[in-house]
Amino acid sequence: MPQQSAESLKTGRVSGARKRAIREAFIGYLFITPATVLLTVFGLFPLLYAVYISLHRWRIKKGPFLGLKNYTKALGDPKDILWFAIGVALLIGSWYLWKSMTRERRTWAMVVKFLAVIVFIAGAWGMFTGLGKMIESGDQTMYEAFVVTVFYAVGIVPMQLGLALLLAVMLYQKIKGKDMYRMIYFMPYVTITVASAGVFRAIFSRRPESIANQLAGLLGIEPQKWLQEPHGIWELVFGHFGVNLQEVFKTMGVDSFLAFILAGPSLALLSIMLYNLWVFVGYNSVIFLAGLGAIPSDLYEAAEIDGANRWHIFRHVTLPLLSPTIYFLTIITVMGVFKAINHVLVMREPAAQGTVDTASLYIFDQFYLSTRFGYASAIAMVLFLVILTLTFVQNRIAQRRVFYG
Amino acid sequence: MANQTLPAQQVEKQHVSFWYRYKVGRILLYFILTFGALVALTPFVYMLLGSLLTRGEMLNRKLLPRDPIAGLQNYVQAWNEANFNEYFVNSVQITTITIIGMLIVCVLAAYAFSRIKFPGREAIFAVFLATMMIPETILLIPNFLIVNQLNKLMAPIGLPWLNNWPSLTIPFMASVFAIFLMRQFFAQIPDELWDAARIDGAGHVRFMLQVVMPLSKAVLFTVIIFQFIGSWNALVWPLVVTSKPDWRPIAVGLYSFISEAGPELQLMLAGAVITTAPVLLLYFFTQKQFTEGIATTGLKG
Repeated sequence: MPQQSAESLKTGRVSGARKRAIREAFIGYLFITPATVLLTVFGLFPLLYAVYISLHRWRIKKGPFLGLKNYTKALGDPKDILWFAIGVALLIGSWYLWKSMTRERRTWAMVVKFLAVIVFIAGAWGMFTGLGKMIESGDQTMYEAFVVTVFYAVGIVPMQLGLALLLAVMLYQKIKGKDMYRMIYFMPYVTITVASAGVFRAIFSRRPESIANQLAGLLGIEPQKWLQEPHGIWELVFGHFGVNLQEVFKTMGVDSFLAFILAGPSLALLSIMLYNLWVFVGYNSVIFLAGLGAIPSDLYEAAEIDGANRWHIFRHVTLPLLSPTIYFLTIITVMGVFKAINHVLVMREPAAQGTVDTASLYIFDQFYLSTRFGYASAIAMVLFLVILTLTFVQNRIAQRRVFYG
Repeated sequence: MANQTLPAQQVEKQHVSFWYRYKVGRILLYFILTFGALVALTPFVYMLLGSLLTRGEMLNRKLLPRDPIAGLQNYVQAWNEANFNEYFVNSVQITTITIIGMLIVCVLAAYAFSRIKFPGREAIFAVFLATMMIPETILLIPNFLIVNQLNKLMAPIGLPWLNNWPSLTIPFMASVFAIFLMRQFFAQIPDELWDAARIDGAGHVRFMLQVVMPLSKAVLFTVIIFQFIGSWNALVWPLVVTSKPDWRPIAVGLYSFISEAGPELQLMLAGAVITTAPVLLLYFFTQKQFTEGIATTGLKG
């Protein structure tokens, strides 16, 4: 600490000041010791331990060292994984090639761009054929769990954030009973998950008098099986018009995994997504409300004086200034989907045939029900890598799109 | 939406006034807000009404209980059948131990990170924050094995971890989220207070207990509420580390009641009311601090 030593030289009490600094540091370390020990034992060390477990055959008790066998069992043939990785690398490479030449106008740039397109096509081809073969030789149920997770996240983020923003903008007006509305919207979030998921299990019951079926009846839809419906939503919609989508896929020679994706999220999964909306829209709108409150009102005034209309103000003032909040909520929501276990555990029915099992729940099943600790850990590490990649991509997008006023 | 420029005064009063300026807009506004409130409330109403139905009424697809007082019988039955007596006490104990431990561990850490200078402070804090990014799913299996080992080590000295409070409380005592929130708050306390306290001969411990903590009631309260909900809500981890009802919390109790026993619907709904009631009551009484606490967490993120 150069500052302190300079000071102490002046006052001539070198050892006193240093002693005090050392004492201060000692107290500091002492104060953070309990938290550091706990975090190391239950937060950091387990991450390394999980890697260790994933490299072994481990069924309750540790078995022989397997190397990467658990990973290849989950992900598929190493050769195909390599294809996939090369494909992804080529895709990223083509992106940089294209970007490096977008500002140039010479023929050389044209050639490089043409090259980029070819690299892109090759990369995409490598990635997709690699992935297809990986799914064939790997654990297809695991891949389906990841598809379920993606369905879930992609479906939930825009709906949840859109509805929450709408409610927040409305609550931000001068209205009567604002606190009451806010309190009610927030109630689902504080309710115990097992309890509310249990209630939704009754609401989305296949019995014709269940609330979901009665509401569907009001819209002229015949009673559905909801949480017990394993068929995809597109399959049901087409089926309503007399087209059997699975038959179509079969005649077209679509393999079972692709058919799983093309059929769309199952009605059971959609029911769980609706539950998710019910729980989190209020929470998100409270956070949006705080974000709206942080926008200085003179910006609105300036925009109004410039003659901007409501939509323009919303689009060019409110939204950009809310982008940090939107970014935060997107991350929280996506993370929530990747962690989703509790409510899915309560709401899943055997009849849904695993169409609601998210990646986290699949890991939990492998661990808790099948006691495959090593294999479950390997999938958990894959999930972790996926989350890290997503966070990285989200960060990159945020750097360009999020405006920290 | 008129493009007219408004008189400055009017602009100042309300900057977002489309909904307000037109009667139709205002009606639409209240309509949507009320509709949203109804959607949020319906499951609660359904839960309450359904929990009061008699078995016959439930089978006959009635929605409103004819004799709500008689329906209270469901609560007694659910309470006894699901063994809520034991689970309730367990949850209260687990929550209390976790909150006390969390306060001790996290206040100390937050105080050190905000008010004591020591080498490597920022780096260590960054590592703390990074651990928040690791999803619980990944930690579940290794932590289960770690707790197993601790159980083997500590059982001979009379402190088994499995089926006992340590595994249910100690891993949650170092809450990075709580440390983060409190650190922000502690850092805002003016240095003059510390200087004054030091002149009076107070050290860090006394300053923390007698000045910092009384000034930080709001943030301590927020952190306690979050921990309360977290502990009351926990399902997967308690399910994994308990094999007997001795220490199982109420969420696990309700989960087994729903999934294993397959009870009649009105009993399940009564069980759901019993489990949720404490948290909802806490929410109603502390509503303002609650929503504000959450709003600030969003802003800081």
